[in-house]
Amino acid sequence: MDGPMIEARNLEKRFTVRRHREGAFGAMRSLVDRGGNEVSAVKDVSFSINRGEMVGYIGPNGAGKSTTIKMLTGILVPSSGEATVAGFTPRESRKQLAQQIGVVFGQRTQLWWDLALADSLELLRHMYRVPEKRFRENLNRARELLVLDDFMHTPVRQLSLGQRMRGDLAAALLHDPKILYLDEPTIGLDIVAKARIREFLAALNRETHVTVLLTTHDLADIEQLCRRIIVIDRGQVVYDGELGALRNRFGGKRHVILDFDQDPGDAISTLAGNNLEIVDHNGPRVRVAFDRETTSTPRVLALASHHGTVRDVSIEEPAIEDVIRQMYEGPDSQHP
Amino acid sequence: MRIYFELALRAFRQLFAYQAAMLAGIFTNSVFGVMLSAVYLALFDSHSDGTSVEGFSARETVTYVWIGQALIAPVMIWGWWEIIKTIRTGAIVTDMLKPLSFFGFWLSRDLGRAVGHLLLRGVPTLIIGALFYDLVYPGTPGRWIAFLVSIPFAVIVSFCFRFMMNLWGFWVLDHRGIAGIATVIVGVASGHLLPIAWYPDALRDVFNMLPFRAIVMLPVEIWLGQAGIVEGLGLQVFWILVMTAAAHWLQSVAERKVVVQGG
Amino acid sequence: MLTLRQECRIAIRIAGIRLRGQIAYPASFWMQIFSSFVIHAAEILALLAMFNRFNDMGEWTLGEVAFLHGISMTAFSIGDTIAVGLDSVPSQIREGEFDRVLIRPLSSWIQTLVSEVSLRHLGQCAQGVVILGFALSWTDIQWTLQKALFMPVIIATGVALFIALFTLVAILSFWTVNSIEVVNAFTYGGSDLAQFPLHIFDRWMRNLFLFVIPGGFTAYYPALYILGKDDPLGMTDTFRFLGPLVTAGFCLVVAWGWNQGIRHYRSTGS
Repeated sequence: MDGPMIEARNLEKRFTVRRHREGAFGAMRSLVDRGGNEVSAVKDVSFSINRGEMVGYIGPNGAGKSTTIKMLTGILVPSSGEATVAGFTPRESRKQLAQQIGVVFGQRTQLWWDLALADSLELLRHMYRVPEKRFRENLNRARELLVLDDFMHTPVRQLSLGQRMRGDLAAALLHDPKILYLDEPTIGLDIVAKARIREFLAALNRETHVTVLLTTHDLADIEQLCRRIIVIDRGQVVYDGELGALRNRFGGKRHVILDFDQDPGDAISTLAGNNLEIVDHNGPRVRVAFDRETTSTPRVLALASHHGTVRDVSIEEPAIEDVIRQMYEGPDSQHP
Repeated sequence: MRIYFELALRAFRQLFAYQAAMLAGIFTNSVFGVMLSAVYLALFDSHSDGTSVEGFSARETVTYVWIGQALIAPVMIWGWWEIIKTIRTGAIVTDMLKPLSFFGFWLSRDLGRAVGHLLLRGVPTLIIGALFYDLVYPGTPGRWIAFLVSIPFAVIVSFCFRFMMNLWGFWVLDHRGIAGIATVIVGVASGHLLPIAWYPDALRDVFNMLPFRAIVMLPVEIWLGQAGIVEGLGLQVFWILVMTAAAHWLQSVAERKVVVQGG
Repeated sequence: MLTLRQECRIAIRIAGIRLRGQIAYPASFWMQIFSSFVIHAAEILALLAMFNRFNDMGEWTLGEVAFLHGISMTAFSIGDTIAVGLDSVPSQIREGEFDRVLIRPLSSWIQTLVSEVSLRHLGQCAQGVVILGFALSWTDIQWTLQKALFMPVIIATGVALFIALFTLVAILSFWTVNSIEVVNAFTYGGSDLAQFPLHIFDRWMRNLFLFVIPGGFTAYYPALYILGKDDPLGMTDTFRFLGPLVTAGFCLVVAWGWNQGIRHYRSTGS
């Protein structure tokens, strides 16, 4: 297929927030007068994602992440703007689009509470009209990679969160969707379960080139899975690009930790001024921060060697959490 | 005793938060009141032999219809399953361990709720009926008072029954089947569906010997003057004593089950 | 794109799997069926007891009233059995469960129908048929081929109307989920209203039930035709056969409303 897999053009979603009236008359007036305030959950969101990309979609609570995804799946109708997903306009061709996408909401299962996982999958097979042979293949792959066999015949309401999430993933992939939306797929899971889900997603993307749009609060998900991220804040895109470039732009300084064979003494302070900064000096260990636009690690090493023998060097990238926090709290931002 | 009063007061106040639901309830009860009145009036219209059917004239029957609609919410004709929910969540264990009567804990809350429902739903429904239909009223102040007393009595009898139905939840997994049967027993044997006097004689005699009569029929009979004040209220008190005893007995059996299961 | 027939086939498959899930708990399943029959046996009893005390109702014999009662009840219960999933739309919306309906490649309305399967309405169905049986033995209808052929049409139109009414209730819940008890007045109230001769009700109720919710066209007027009775309201005889047409129009309006509801759906959370 030509063109991008997901395209959002100036998407906007406004909600009316009803005024709540007190008292008996208030209730009666609310029945007649439906006035309220309009708020935009999503103000103006545009981006475009190509086939096979795995994109992290992040932002603080209430930024409009879920609302965007719901517009891209056809759950919500945009107030204005357009979306094209897998060649369809979600609001016009909801059913055709549904055949092309898989959705996993971490907070809410797409399975049936009272049915065994096997029955839920069987039901979905009919709904998506997956051919018998294809269904067997996909089911076997999911059973193997997501280790479903222990709980295939347990009602969904009795599954643990991690088991349920694996079930949900298997369900979302039964019909070979071209696009996978994941909304907080690792929320509430323990480290082992998180790692298992991430490995599965990475392998899936490698093998099938499925396009993935992932929202999460756990930035480790993003770091391990996505090269590209889109950051949204108060309903607007504030960054769209490579994760690494984000660090350069907002992350500022890289840290190098130098371990000398002995304490270089106060003389080390003369290092400062060469576009670097001594952050910490504790015995033989010195921590240096610098901007990678102006200086490089070998140059720091060269400068440091004037002050003694460097036994060991380690480089620390700024943590992605810090980078993003800095973005939300940055000088241009109007956050309190 | 103070604590029970406080519990009742809280349950009473809680209802005021759901005004839209109250309006909806009044509307629904009134629509059914209008419809049933039309049905009975049509039946009486073409009734050839005299004006009264087993003690009910057309006006009295319409009055019965509106009292019945007004009582739906206070006595919870359609059932109530709050205790079952606490069995499911396990909250029942802490409720039973509280230093107050488990029965009294729920009863006081139910009475508070019933008073709220009477004021917010029962009275308005009855007023609508009185505005549109020519109803019969209790002739003497004594009867008015007796009727007002008979309502909390009806609520207590109905509560005891609902309480016991809920405790069944200790023995069965799914209460929906029982709920259906319990609802129909109350609907028929209380006189909500049809005045008890209109059932075939054998059935009428059976219903008259059951406690459910105290829930709808006795308040109606007291209002209409078909039952003596002392006899009517006396019979309600009798059923309160019997049902309370039965409820306590079932509760003690259920408590033993909780202890055996270890909570 | 799926045809309507394909969608229905898938829906029936889904309903089958859901039913299989229920039978997995046989005790509770049979208890529900049993209680459903007890409830409706009791209602038949109350109705017969009432009829027993009176001779007729608004110029109709009680057998004729029972006939009307039987066709309405049968239609209502079949409609309710099919549409039971629509009952849960308010709670699905409140709990955010409705999202998943919209990410699946099937009509949202058909999915909602089969989101729940319940056989507890079988008892009600039986009630309708039993009362219809009584009615047929109490009245002596002059059957003709046309009348016999029209009977299934009457039932089918009634079923369609009640499903449309349940859908209407579900549509309202896209706007408000709190005052939903009002709608009982329209569904269960509508069903009760359809069970009695229309002319016993006040003018405003009659008009409401003919020209807003066309229940009079699906029960009362067709019953006049089968029973061969005059219309005390003095409407043209065409009214007796308008049911299917009027119901189709009503269903179209409701279908439009459903789509508006879906467009208005707000989901929950951020």
